[in-house]
Amino acid sequence: MIKVDANKCLGCFSCSNVCPSQNITRTETPELRSVHWKRCKEECDLCVEFCPAKALTLVSYDESCPEPTLTFELVACKICGSRYATEPMLKRIESSLPANLQKDSTGLDWIWVCPVCRRNIEAERATRQMVLGRSRKSP
Amino acid sequence: MPVYVDISRCIGCRSCEVACKRVHGGSGHVNVHFAGDNASVPVFCHHCEEASCTMACFTQALHKEGERTAFDIEKCTGCGLCRLACPFGVVWTDKIAHKCDLCEGRETPACVLTCPANALSLDFELASRRARARAALVAAHGGRR
Repeated sequence: MIKVDANKCLGCFSCSNVCPSQNITRTETPELRSVHWKRCKEECDLCVEFCPAKALTLVSYDESCPEPTLTFELVACKICGSRYATEPMLKRIESSLPANLQKDSTGLDWIWVCPVCRRNIEAERATRQMVLGRSRKSP
Repeated sequence: MPVYVDISRCIGCRSCEVACKRVHGGSGHVNVHFAGDNASVPVFCHHCEEASCTMACFTQALHKEGERTAFDIEKCTGCGLCRLACPFGVVWTDKIAHKCDLCEGRETPACVLTCPANALSLDFELASRRARARAALVAAHGGRR
């Protein structure tokens, strides 16, 4: 059976993806992501091994133990407001990157911006000169 | 050795997007963006020297292989951290991570071969050589840049 450390869990997709018996399930609404660990009797410890946060441990089977569920509120993008990730995941990214990579050339904290807006910003940056040049030429 | 874009040549036809999808079984890693009617640019992996996706990946599924940011599908758990660690939003996780692999196994990436406008190349110097040539041509005709 799996014990979860709620303070460590990131709310990522790892354990639910690697579980061969689908004993870890994920439900997602636009605002929330929940991870649910069913009581399992397996001796397998793939989820424990592949937890990026080391939040899981294998404990002996106990019928009376409630099945843990963790629910995470998804963080809204600073630009478009769409919800795209759990806060612990973004905090984890912050701690795994050196400080100089966490701001782009305009000083934007890009980690708190969703991937769609990141692509738009990159495209805007790449085409800026071209757009200026071409709009000057047009009558 | 990433793919370099000469934005002045991009015609926004999305052929690179299609080529990428074709060789990667339907999930592409190129997104063509438009700046109004004035310009277009394909956005894809830069194969960063200091690649934040590789720093966020805890199983080393994403790793540097020379200049390439390579991906080992066997090691990926689909956790989704790399998607959030990419500053340009060009790593995706749909059950498993996927990103530009510069068309592993092919000599030249499909997008480069396909681009009808020759806007994509593996040559870093090409875009600046072309820009210098254009400037020289204009100057030779007595015009101003």
